[in-house]
Amino acid sequence: MNKEFKKLKRKFTQNPLNIICSIIFIFFLLVAFLPSVFAPYDPIAMDPDAFMSGPSAQHWFGTDQFGRDILSRIIYGVQGSLYIASMAIVFASIAGTIIGSVSGYFGGVVDNIIMRFIDAMFAFPSIILALFIIALFGATVQNLIIAIGIIYIPIFSRTIRGSAISVKQNLYVTASRSLGKSSSRIILTDIIPNISSIFIVSFTTNFSTAILSEASLGFLGLGVPPPYPTLGSMVGEGNNFLLSAPWITLFPGMIIAVIVLSINIVGDGLRDTLDPKN
Amino acid sequence: MKLAYIIGRLISAIPTIIILTLFVFIAIHLVPGDVIDIMLGTQNFLSEEQMQDLYIKYGLDKPVAVQYLVWLKNLVTLDLGTSIRTGEEVSSLIAQKFPVTFELAMLSIIFSVIIGIPFGIISAVKKNTKTDYSIRFLGLIGLSAPVFWIGSLLIVFISSVFVNYTLFGFVPFIQEPLKNLQIMLIPAITLGLMIAAQIMRMSRNSMLDVLSQEYIRVAYAKGVNKRKIIMKHALRNALIPVITVTGIQLGYLIGGTIIIEKMFALPGIGRLLLQAVNQRDYPVVQGIVTFIGIMIILINILVDILYSVIDPRIELN
Amino acid sequence: MRKNLLIMLILVFSIAISLFGVNYGGTLNYAIATEPVGLDPNLVTAFASFRILENVYDTLLKYDESMNIVPALAESYEIVDPTTIVFTIREGVKFHDGTTLTVEDVAFTFERILDEDYGSPAASNFAEVEYIKTFDGNKIEFKLKIPMMNALLPNFTSGNTAIVSEKFVTGGANMQLETNGTGPFYISDYKAGNYIELKKNEDYYEDGLPYLDGVKFHIIPEEISRVSAIRNGDIDLASLDEPTSVGQLANNYKVFKQPVLNYYLLGINTAAKPLDNAKVRQAISYALNRENIIKMVAFGEGTVTGPMNPTVTAWAIPPEEFAIYDNNIEKAKELLTEAGYPNGIEFSITCSAKYSFDKIAQVIQAQLAPAGIKVNIDLVEWGIFIDKWKKVDFDSFVSLNGGSVEPDRQFYRTFYSSGSTNKFNFNNEKADELLDAGRETVEYEQRKEIYNEFQELIVEESPIIFLYCSNNIYAGQKSVEGFKTMSNGSLTFLREVWLNK
Repeated sequence: MNKEFKKLKRKFTQNPLNIICSIIFIFFLLVAFLPSVFAPYDPIAMDPDAFMSGPSAQHWFGTDQFGRDILSRIIYGVQGSLYIASMAIVFASIAGTIIGSVSGYFGGVVDNIIMRFIDAMFAFPSIILALFIIALFGATVQNLIIAIGIIYIPIFSRTIRGSAISVKQNLYVTASRSLGKSSSRIILTDIIPNISSIFIVSFTTNFSTAILSEASLGFLGLGVPPPYPTLGSMVGEGNNFLLSAPWITLFPGMIIAVIVLSINIVGDGLRDTLDPKN
Repeated sequence: MKLAYIIGRLISAIPTIIILTLFVFIAIHLVPGDVIDIMLGTQNFLSEEQMQDLYIKYGLDKPVAVQYLVWLKNLVTLDLGTSIRTGEEVSSLIAQKFPVTFELAMLSIIFSVIIGIPFGIISAVKKNTKTDYSIRFLGLIGLSAPVFWIGSLLIVFISSVFVNYTLFGFVPFIQEPLKNLQIMLIPAITLGLMIAAQIMRMSRNSMLDVLSQEYIRVAYAKGVNKRKIIMKHALRNALIPVITVTGIQLGYLIGGTIIIEKMFALPGIGRLLLQAVNQRDYPVVQGIVTFIGIMIILINILVDILYSVIDPRIELN
Repeated sequence: MRKNLLIMLILVFSIAISLFGVNYGGTLNYAIATEPVGLDPNLVTAFASFRILENVYDTLLKYDESMNIVPALAESYEIVDPTTIVFTIREGVKFHDGTTLTVEDVAFTFERILDEDYGSPAASNFAEVEYIKTFDGNKIEFKLKIPMMNALLPNFTSGNTAIVSEKFVTGGANMQLETNGTGPFYISDYKAGNYIELKKNEDYYEDGLPYLDGVKFHIIPEEISRVSAIRNGDIDLASLDEPTSVGQLANNYKVFKQPVLNYYLLGINTAAKPLDNAKVRQAISYALNRENIIKMVAFGEGTVTGPMNPTVTAWAIPPEEFAIYDNNIEKAKELLTEAGYPNGIEFSITCSAKYSFDKIAQVIQAQLAPAGIKVNIDLVEWGIFIDKWKKVDFDSFVSLNGGSVEPDRQFYRTFYSSGSTNKFNFNNEKADELLDAGRETVEYEQRKEIYNEFQELIVEESPIIFLYCSNNIYAGQKSVEGFKTMSNGSLTFLREVWLNK
């Protein structure tokens, strides 16, 4: 087991890009966990005298119309965005895995009905779905997590279902069956562990997209209510001043891009490493 | 056989559509606050009785289930109801605004395909070279950067460098084609870049797959011109996943149009939907979502059919 | 000799005309951010609706550019006694459909307004009308139950009292969608979400007006698009929301700034603990720095306001004279301790992301924190916000109220215990007494005393914390002439606009 892991690790670290991006991502994770260590100012403290000033020595990324430091807000925004996205994906992956495994294993009518619902959800553009849920229950952190999570359930369900089906064909499931294990045990002990690599890759890829989803919702004004910043809502608010104070929008957007990019590269690296095809 | 398949698919789409509309209908009605409230604003001086009268006027007094069934019945006759806010027919609103979204989507797809496929193929052919890496990196940026950020960057860039470039103020193509294209260019590029990244990745992957196939190696060994191989065999097979991606990307594309239309003030159905949700204009929201849902399903069917055309080896079950 | 004199006169006259004369014709492209919600003048409440309707319909009286009340559809009026007013209606005025305006239409309009089942927002303003009588062919008399004629007069300028055609309404027209007015323009085309096209009324009763052939209201919600449209010449005149936009329209455009009577407020549910104690509410006022709110939310484009807008010098007590308008955190803490909350309090502000309400809420939150007051912001959708406002389901809220130059219009429905916009659970006997007295008193000096006392009381009790009045900002091409702005935000002077092209 350990030897396998070492081999995978070597393969992963072969590409310098993977290493760099992992470091970047870990850095952002640190920022997300300990924002007060990194942020020079209180993100919601207003300073009327520093109103809408550009990047300077006191405020590296400038200030917004309330004189709040953009850099500090970005740092806390990273915490907000990563928290929401990760919780949403955890929720979606668990729910999706359960649904997908059940659907894939049982097949037949159960599979059909479940997939009908999943298909319906796919047809629904995700932003609109999230729009509803937030409009329904209000824009709180919990609801954002649920709303974004729900968007990703279909993808997880489908991916896991696909794997579950192929694994099901696998001889050794038939062997377990003949040994008399119950269906639920089979799903738990045989199918799920075997799809873990697909799961990890799915998780990472969808994690980055979830960050983008949260940012988009924030941009449309459906994110976490003020004054606590999220990266998306900062871009949205700053859009009114795009031509007069572009730093308010452009810096948060850049950070989103960097985070998502590094996660995507790591995700790609993981896929290349774990993919049996290569 | 194909006809039967098409019909079969169309019919199986109906339950999906019904689930969709049901969900939308319920969702909207669960939200507190409603259209009448918004119509009257905070300076609302009506009594309960007078409000009731307005409700009856707009048919909002009937139980929710009845409202839904009535709507469903109308749907079959393509009557999507009337906007509670403006009194206009929803179907006419969609007919007015959809061309804008359609134009945006088409231009974005065209742009993304022009960029995406060639780069993807080059990247595959020159696998693991510097060119490959650079292209893939750019592609990753396209996938990672939020579409609204790219849009903002472009707006700032264009306004600073090309000071007289008109960025806002949509006119229909029929009226002033050149101005229309000028306005649509930046939004289309913005949206197109996001999709180009996906397409590039897809076409690279499928191209790689195909290139490693037996029959390609055989043809190569036989001495057939490399370029001819690429053109004839590989391209054809590479297109399949691309079409798949376009189908999958549709939901994403539409989500993207909502953001782009808001940013660039384009009067399409994305923006209309956003406004309608904010205003609790139930008929409009329901109509648009159903319309989009049906469209996506139809396009997916189209995608399946295109598959069969391109690769006769694929069976239509 | 005489002939030369004549020629010189003609020459001078022509030069004078070309220097001071107007050009007729052309269409003004106006960009607005919000579109109307309904077109029935007696029923609508949205500011956006009035901006259009005030060019399509006329009222009996109107404001001139200095906010004086002058005749409009009524060519004259007579206050016979404090309970009786008689209007003489202009003859020969035509509705857009060609029919002639008669005094019957005026009577019909007001009966419509007073009809309980119809639900006009203006109804409560005319609640004291005992009867309406038409006589002598073109005269109409309003008889009141109490002598509030002076307080009532400005109501006849309100957009909600625009005169509609009896035949048109009883003929079954859907007034929310169709219009038939007497105004300088009529609606020729309306594409929802896109534009509203107005065309010149050739038979408008004011001679020579309007100068323009038409006005096209383009609905452009995004500020950035409106600015862009001005810069590339697609739009001639626009309403702007963000003062920062002015910076991008530096030298080659006209910019108009107009202080308006609408005021921003923090409305408080005086039944919700801990806000039920007047000292707590005063503490909030002491902790606020209104100038900073104006600086950060309105970029300095606004003025602090008391219960009456300080520009209404006939009635307003200047806000500086109120002690609680001082920014004094220590005093705020003192008051909280006196009220029994030495460790501070916590409450929520309900707001929506419109008209900068949410921004104001954020600033208030930051400003109250040093005084030990913790604010939670409840940001909700516009529809939900209105719902909560109606049901008084809030601790406090931020909103924008229409202001007036007439104290009765400014205060009555908001602060009277049974007032239709009294959403504050505010029941104060003395306030009711003063409001009723102010309504019934005729003499200005006496009324001034009453309303002075009222303003002191309302600031002492602070069921709402008055914040500021902002400036409306408009920008346009240099070719736009004759545009006058008004402190009630009205666009009625579009009828006097002409294009110097």
